[in-house]
Amino acid sequence: MVDIGTLVDSKQGLINPLIYTDPALYQLELDRVFGRSWLFLAHESQLPNRGSFVQTYMGEDPVLVVRQRDASVKAFLNQCRHRGMRICRADAGTNKTFTCSYHGWAYDLEGNLINVPLEERAYHNQIDKSQWGATKVPRVQSYKGFYFGTWSDEVPEFEEYLGEMKYYFDAAVDRWDNGLEFVKGATKWVIDCNWKFAAEQFTSDMYHAPISHASAMVALFEDPAMRSLFDPSPHDQGRQFAGHGHGTGSMGIPEFGPDILAGPEYSAWQIANRDQVYNRLGTDRAHKIMIHNNIFPNFSWLGTASTMRVWHPRGPGQIEVWAWTYVPKDAPESARKGVREVTQRTFSPAGVFETDDGENWTEIQQVMRGWKARSTLFNAQMGLGFEQRDYPGMPGMSNDLYSEMGARGFYQRWQDLMKNLSWKEIAELDAQRRAAEQEVQPA
Amino acid sequence: MSTAVDQAVEAGPSTFRPTSMELQHRVEKFFSAEAELLDDHRYTDWVQLFTEDVHYWLPTRMTRTIRERDQEVAAAGENALIDDDLTALRGRVRRVTSGIQWSEEPPSRTRRLITNVRIDERGDGELDVRSNFCIYRSRLERHQDWFVGERFDLLRPAEGAYPYRIASRKVVFEQTTILAPSISIFF
Ligand code: FES
Ligand SMILES: [Fe+2]
Repeated sequence: MVDIGTLVDSKQGLINPLIYTDPALYQLELDRVFGRSWLFLAHESQLPNRGSFVQTYMGEDPVLVVRQRDASVKAFLNQCRHRGMRICRADAGTNKTFTCSYHGWAYDLEGNLINVPLEERAYHNQIDKSQWGATKVPRVQSYKGFYFGTWSDEVPEFEEYLGEMKYYFDAAVDRWDNGLEFVKGATKWVIDCNWKFAAEQFTSDMYHAPISHASAMVALFEDPAMRSLFDPSPHDQGRQFAGHGHGTGSMGIPEFGPDILAGPEYSAWQIANRDQVYNRLGTDRAHKIMIHNNIFPNFSWLGTASTMRVWHPRGPGQIEVWAWTYVPKDAPESARKGVREVTQRTFSPAGVFETDDGENWTEIQQVMRGWKARSTLFNAQMGLGFEQRDYPGMPGMSNDLYSEMGARGFYQRWQDLMKNLSWKEIAELDAQRRAAEQEVQPA
Repeated sequence: MSTAVDQAVEAGPSTFRPTSMELQHRVEKFFSAEAELLDDHRYTDWVQLFTEDVHYWLPTRMTRTIRERDQEVAAAGENALIDDDLTALRGRVRRVTSGIQWSEEPPSRTRRLITNVRIDERGDGELDVRSNFCIYRSRLERHQDWFVGERFDLLRPAEGAYPYRIASRKVVFEQTTILAPSISIFF
């Protein structure tokens, strides 16, 4: 196995492409990164009733996320303890129990084993069912309607894990008094690329947008004069935040409310209700769009279009994208229609932005089949040395909107975990890094 | 008490439609002509086949148990891959012909097979038409996708080179997880 310490150099901004291709590293990632981080499980709107469930994945592990009788949400591995069959094979639904279709072991909503066929004859009443429940996700955290889970007993509580990213995450999930909901149904598709390309891009990469997505504005606006909508505005050139492996890029807007892409009805609804946003977020935050966002490792969303997604890893060279459209829970159908349609039109496998991202990542992955291509270092040096802490309106470490500080932070956290440092050691390292950062900071 | 198995064998409406040979022929030729426009990358001509009030819609679907199969295909107002009006569809055509849509520049090679055309006539001359499609796409060096599914069209009689305009199109894929990196072609 290669030395993980040499694969990424976050100080110099260098990436060894092996991290995207090596099967042994990938297996290690499932354990050390996905097994030890907080992973998005579900939004509360996906689980409307007692017994509502969705099937999702933590890395490659299938889990069932279930609304309990007491309205709490629990999750367990979707694997029968008898011989490993997938317990539930529907993507979503409502159940009272989950019965394995191989030999019929039955589980309750928490994953406890409650019935075994022929218990008396076949097991002579000697099976201790309490020992053979499905493997439970030990920690499930509800955060403003969003459920995250982890297998780790040492990762800090979710809010601490977020760090300053909380400020930026809240900008999306805590802006309306009554919160958000997901439009019913998920869009799922497969891209033949390593999961880190997608996660890193949503953490850190505004740089690709004007080139990769050059054609998107052509689709959205017939009038060429309108196509400069996302050009940096004169009063706010945009900043990128990075911290704890997470990242976002923000852009200023003169006022909150009007949304050209989502249309006049949604704009009118936002304007009519904007006191909520100003009160909850404050003017500074209300006057920013967090364009691209990623919570380490693989939960992303956009502030420009209303998409949230998980990049599920499927081997070193493949991902499944699971994407949802989020809308304010209180917005009536006449208003939310505009958001829903433009989100699907821009960010989905048929989206006028998104089709181009998949094209880039599949081609990169193909090229790395080459031995030489796989041993040629990548450049992640953009904005190196231009970091600034607590820039006005940008808590934490930020940089120009066009920088790769977020990518460097993302790979740093990835490397910390891949080295199998404990979360305690990682926290100590972060403190040292922060101390060192102040020494080089210009006065 | 009837069980789910019993109900499944109860008779439903006949799927045999006594469509005249001429009508059947015209609609099938129309679909072939439409497919030719797309396979030949004549998008600007293709988008003119749609009416001003068209709804061009690709809902997503999910795996549900038989008991909850009514929720398998997303309903109106729920999740979709594409949920377009004519303005949006024209925008997609403007984009694919721009020369800077990297997911179709260089362009995919496609071949469309449109079959099993089933026509229900409305009283006013409009036609509800269901058809099956099997579309092969080859991209760049060796990427390939199969898109398989069913289309539900509303055809409106029209003057001119083509006998119909498409007033509504719903496209349902036989996949829940789309096994393609992008849907950059039309259906
Ligand atoms: S594998 Fe589930 S009951 Fe045997
Ligand atoms: Fe992108």
